[in-house]
Amino acid sequence: MSLLLVDEITKEYDGVRALDRISLEVEKGTIKGLMGPNGAGKSTLFHLISGMEKPDSGKIYFKGKEITSLEPNEIAALGVGRTFQTVQTLGNMTVVENIMTGMHLRLKGGLISSGLWLPWIKRTEKEALKEAKEILDRLGLLGRWKSPASQLPLGKQKLLEIGRAFAMKPDLILLDEPASGLTPAEVEQLSERICQLKKDGVTLFVVEHHMGMVMEIADEVVVLDRGKLIAQGPPDVVRGDSKVVEAYMKGKRLNNYR
Amino acid sequence: MQTKKEFRKRDFFYLLPLWLLSLIVPDADDLYSYRSKEFKRRELYYLGTVLLLPLIWSDPHFHHLMVLAGIYAILALGLSLFLGYAGQISLGHAAFFGIGAYTTAILTTRYAFPTFLTFWASAATAATAAFLIGKPILKLKGYFLALATLGFGEIFLVIVQETQTLTGGVIGIFGIPWFSIAGFSFDTYLKQYYLIWGVLLGLFLFSKNLVRSKLGRASLAVAVSEDAAKSVGIDVAQIKIKVFVMSAAFAGFAGSLFACIMSTANPEAFSLGFSTLIVMMVILGGMGNLYGPIFGSILLTYLMDVLGRYQEWSLPIYGVILILLLIFFPDGIGTRFGIRLIYLIGYWAKKKKRDEGKL
Amino acid sequence: MVTWSSIPQLLSSGITIGAIYALVALGFVTITRASQIINFAQGEFVMLGGVITFFLLKGLNLPYFLAGLIAIIIVVMIGFLLQVSVIYPLQKASVLILIIATLGASIFLSSTSALVFGTLPKALPPFSGEQPIQIGELTIVPQSVWVLGATFLLLIVLYLLSHRTLLGKAMEATSTDPLGADLLGISRNLMVFLAFGVSAGIGAFAGILITPIYFTSYNSGTLLGLKGFIAAVLGGWGKNSGAILGGFVLGIVESLSVVFIPSGYKDGVAFAILLLILYFRPKGILGSPFIDSRRW
Repeated sequence: MSLLLVDEITKEYDGVRALDRISLEVEKGTIKGLMGPNGAGKSTLFHLISGMEKPDSGKIYFKGKEITSLEPNEIAALGVGRTFQTVQTLGNMTVVENIMTGMHLRLKGGLISSGLWLPWIKRTEKEALKEAKEILDRLGLLGRWKSPASQLPLGKQKLLEIGRAFAMKPDLILLDEPASGLTPAEVEQLSERICQLKKDGVTLFVVEHHMGMVMEIADEVVVLDRGKLIAQGPPDVVRGDSKVVEAYMKGKRLNNYR
Repeated sequence: MQTKKEFRKRDFFYLLPLWLLSLIVPDADDLYSYRSKEFKRRELYYLGTVLLLPLIWSDPHFHHLMVLAGIYAILALGLSLFLGYAGQISLGHAAFFGIGAYTTAILTTRYAFPTFLTFWASAATAATAAFLIGKPILKLKGYFLALATLGFGEIFLVIVQETQTLTGGVIGIFGIPWFSIAGFSFDTYLKQYYLIWGVLLGLFLFSKNLVRSKLGRASLAVAVSEDAAKSVGIDVAQIKIKVFVMSAAFAGFAGSLFACIMSTANPEAFSLGFSTLIVMMVILGGMGNLYGPIFGSILLTYLMDVLGRYQEWSLPIYGVILILLLIFFPDGIGTRFGIRLIYLIGYWAKKKKRDEGKL
Repeated sequence: MVTWSSIPQLLSSGITIGAIYALVALGFVTITRASQIINFAQGEFVMLGGVITFFLLKGLNLPYFLAGLIAIIIVVMIGFLLQVSVIYPLQKASVLILIIATLGASIFLSSTSALVFGTLPKALPPFSGEQPIQIGELTIVPQSVWVLGATFLLLIVLYLLSHRTLLGKAMEATSTDPLGADLLGISRNLMVFLAFGVSAGIGAFAGILITPIYFTSYNSGTLLGLKGFIAAVLGGWGKNSGAILGGFVLGIVESLSVVFIPSGYKDGVAFAILLLILYFRPKGILGSPFIDSRRW
């Protein structure tokens, strides 16, 4: 059964079709790549899936349930985590607290009970801290667990954001250009972590420009261009597809006319 | 060569107290230490100071000021949860303070409720008002949220002034009894001091726990990135309302105590100017930690007192100081950096004088 | 309770005060368009216009017109001073700090006015005689006509200045597209500086117009400023036309409200309108170029 089903999604902004009747599926336990030149509509699709915006037409299903009109936090509660193109680490908290924030839905605690620090709150917090540290350890961030998150370099912040999403114990994580701004070494590390996530049972849907990384980690790739889905399939097949090549090359071809 | 030695000795006298102060004053950058148990020793110093100070220094005026500072600190503490932790804006908290004060005033003078009960009732009414007004307002952000809270504050004032029979209108309500628990009446400044700082201590611990908990993290997340918060399942609107209601409850507690201390309640005390003052206390103290608002309230209460001696010059000077403080200490004075800066300025000024003297 | 027959009268006084609200609102919008800042001290410019003119007229015995002109110039200087000493140093500061800073400036200006000019309310003589004009059942004070006339005149002048002069166009450019204007070499700081001056001037002008009808004293600025702001939001935040429309609508609604509710609540009407607008239609009547669901 497909974990995520996108059915004929269309989104327009001021007359421009950012997404034109896009349909795709993501199978459980796989890594699906989403590619396309700039402006193709990739981030828009993510915004629609995660609930930050609503499509003009079409439906989105997660685990068989329709999520098209749900609020972002409701969709998150169903088991969808995400990262952002411009990394949104919570800079006013420590590294470990960022992870613990990811555990929000899994922790107990109301206003009064937290304020009074009832015994079960104390226990929950202790366990949460332990688990958060374990997650940090696996990401290689344990050494800085007490530092303010804003002090981490970009590569580590991106890892932290992935860790935060993972802390939700979601079924699906949407990664929005995780490799942008990273050095080649960091991209290597990132690829490893993403594969590790897959082994942990998380399904991943990754928007990425970095061809090398996508080719390496993705089971299947979907390519968008100007709002339309132009190719779908295993990475090697898609890479050779003439429509894909043309979509990416069109920029270069214009240059040749000079 | 001799001048250099002299400098060293004198420097020591300036630097030592600075160093001591920086040990005592909390540092807003030291994030995790607040929200963990490792901070205990410094906090015992504070606790000791708070407990012993009024006994050491028994000037009644000092006690009176500290009583006021304590009340404002409760108010500022609550507001700082909303302003500093959740990252929102409220220019109308004087209204919640007022609601608390008037609830106590009306219940004690008209219906002879015991003050211990009205204390809680005040917080409840303020919290309810916050809940009702919060639901629609908290959808707004930035300037519009500020404006909406300001509008609410003004409407509160108008209602108070117009409903004469209930609130005594412009004149207010008199004869509010002293706060008392089981017959023990807090009628001197000293007793009031311990009452209020005791309440403050309790609320402070409560806040500390909140901040360390899932709610605290959720608020901080909302302040930095609502999108990120939503992506981990946080119901942003609900968090904002919860923190808003909480801060109003604190204001209600403070208002109740205020009414009992002043034994009167009138609308003048709950104006936009007062809302501005409380916000200033939060900003000045430093928004990143819970000691900030307490620090800020003590500082500003003293400032108000000092300025009061200048009669009609007090407000213009206050306006100027306000602006200067915002320009030079946007992160608050209650941080190690702030204290150091003040000291360094003083030090540099004195050094200049010394240099000129030498020449 | 006021009766229905007084509606025409209320309408006319509503339009008069509406013109003032429109001018104050315009002052707010001018600054916001140039700098994204909301100047809570705007109302004080109005107050100072009236108070300073009074001082020059009665205290120094200057001719009325000259007193008004000099007062406007002084208030414009104060506007410039405000920008340079408060706004410019805080240009990178957060919204909260800017709000408190302009509130602080408002406190400073109103209390200094009390200090220098005293706390008694000031009344200026009407521009042309005190004899009220009767139109049917309507009694109009000549000053009201002046208020409306002068307001429209000012609006025309401002329109011409902003669309026909280079400086005016530069300011418009900065409001519509700050980055673009910046890239064209238009100094953002200069535009903000001028915006403050223009706002202050408009405010002072409004102050002189209104003082003959309603007294002005050191603390009348605050409430007036807030209402002007509300008017700007009501009409469509960030649009000049919105500010003007909002001003008149607010003035009329506020004035007519006494038919329905006790007059003591009149001041609260503006704030109630504010809350309603912010809740139901934050864009305002005419819509707003600034409000985009993510930002506000």
